[in-house]
Amino acid sequence: MIKITQWIVVTLVLCLSVSVAFSQGLAPPSNVTAVDTPNDDGSSITIKWDTAAEDSGVSGYQILRQIADGELEAIGDLLPVEATSYVDSAIEQGTAYSYVVRAVDETEATVDSDQTAPVEGKDQWFHTGKVPLLITMLLFSAAILWNIYDARRGKDIFVRRIPGLEAVDEAIGRATEMGRSILYSTGLGGVSGVATIASMTILAQVARRTADYETALRVPCRDPIVLNVVREMVKTAYLEEGRPDAYNEDDIFFVTNSQFAYAAGVEGMMLRERPAAIFLQGTFYAESLILAETGNSVGAIQIAGTDSEHQLPFFIAACDYTLIGEELYAASAYLSREPMLLGSLRGQDWGKLLIFSAIILGVALELSGISWITTLLQRVN
Amino acid sequence: MKRQVPLVLCFVFGIAMIFTRFSPHSVSQWIYEEVISWILIIGPFALVLATVTLIQTHTTRIRRRTEHWQYSLVVFAGLIIMVLIGVPFGPQNSIFEWLYNNVQLPMDATMFSLLAFFIASAAYRAFRARTFEASLLLLTAVVVMMGNVPIGDFIWNTIMSWSPWTDKVSEARQWILDNPNLSARRGIILGVSLGVISQSIRIILGIERSYLGGGD
Repeated sequence: MIKITQWIVVTLVLCLSVSVAFSQGLAPPSNVTAVDTPNDDGSSITIKWDTAAEDSGVSGYQILRQIADGELEAIGDLLPVEATSYVDSAIEQGTAYSYVVRAVDETEATVDSDQTAPVEGKDQWFHTGKVPLLITMLLFSAAILWNIYDARRGKDIFVRRIPGLEAVDEAIGRATEMGRSILYSTGLGGVSGVATIASMTILAQVARRTADYETALRVPCRDPIVLNVVREMVKTAYLEEGRPDAYNEDDIFFVTNSQFAYAAGVEGMMLRERPAAIFLQGTFYAESLILAETGNSVGAIQIAGTDSEHQLPFFIAACDYTLIGEELYAASAYLSREPMLLGSLRGQDWGKLLIFSAIILGVALELSGISWITTLLQRVN
Repeated sequence: MKRQVPLVLCFVFGIAMIFTRFSPHSVSQWIYEEVISWILIIGPFALVLATVTLIQTHTTRIRRRTEHWQYSLVVFAGLIIMVLIGVPFGPQNSIFEWLYNNVQLPMDATMFSLLAFFIASAAYRAFRARTFEASLLLLTAVVVMMGNVPIGDFIWNTIMSWSPWTDKVSEARQWILDNPNLSARRGIILGVSLGVISQSIRIILGIERSYLGGGD
């Protein structure tokens, strides 16, 4: 009986020793910190810890959270062993949270880290990661403003010839001579699209000329807000040219909101009315080629312009002239010859020069094994 | 005053929206979301105006019996049927859904499918090898097409069997897309981005104001 008792005691001691030995192998996560996530609206806290050693036996981590004097509660799923951080996005501002990172092994044995100091999520007013972007934007804006100021002082500004815009007068003149209408589409974009605004500014210039020549200007619209803005713009252009009687509100009309129904409507107009000149300016998608090819088939002179780089090849193939990307935005300045607008164009060219210089410098540095420009751009991204 | 108020509003909201891009603060995010909601609110009002103009335009055409005025009757038929079914019974109504699935969708698909024919006719014009540039375009297009279509490898390998470039059409296609094509696209995108910033500055500062109607 004594022997049996001794055997049981020895076995128990051995089991205890083994379990202690194993529990010593599962080290608690070290250097656990909890900080307010930088550059956010105070809606999250980031918890970080050091990577566990390969032979530590850890198979995953569980994050535990405590609010004030409450109980520790598990949040989120079990994290993989390679995880070294966790973002707790389920927090309330003004409440302090403290965290424990619990290491778990294959046998579901656990060991907890020290509890972090309480931390609150706080709103940040400025995203520090966007400093390079802000500096670039300010530099570019300064270049534009400087050139506008220069233009206001009467300095002559050279603008390279843009064939697509040179052809505007030719297209309107042709329509006038043939006694046919001009069709102007502002595309599918809404009024908040910069390309649509650029398109509307070109339309204002075209409307001034059609008012002079008494040529019918037809504008089918896809967006209701664009319709109302366009009507106001064209009406003012006719008024300013002293031809309010030539303005016909019915020529600017709503077709439909639907993409292909709009394409069908405008295509039908082209085939029935056979306009002598067609302007396709703004944002276009798959309907670009449908419109441009139909316009081509009726023999109209076509001037297209878009910033949608996927549609540019279609326009180039099917239209007589195409404003490529930035030329669309330059059109207003080019057609009006307003010095302040021309000044902004030169500022834009300075911006391009800055970017190209950065590209050349970046390539040269990268080839020399210095990659700080690449790193900087990756940070901004 | 008619001009000043919109210009001031444009400046204030333009600056505010730029600020929201650089500030993650909840207040700036609230401003951003609120302004987006306002745009959504303005939309339906403008849609009412647009519908009125649509009705006016087609009523005039029917009244004056202009050329092809019969199409305006089709517009009214479509409009009235969809409104009579859609407004009282909602878009989940089975007749409304049937009309959408069996009338509107097939018509949309028909328009979209026309694109294939237009691509063929535009490609024919663009690829006529009249100049050096057009010939280069033709050659590039042939290589890219060969690399894209399943039978391309077979054709390429048959034609190029004498040369060391067999089995290289996919690589050639990818090289064209990754190098000259991507470089040109990025150049356009850079120009567009600068153009957008420049146009935005002009609008925010009130230099570009023709969108308000007229020049000055």
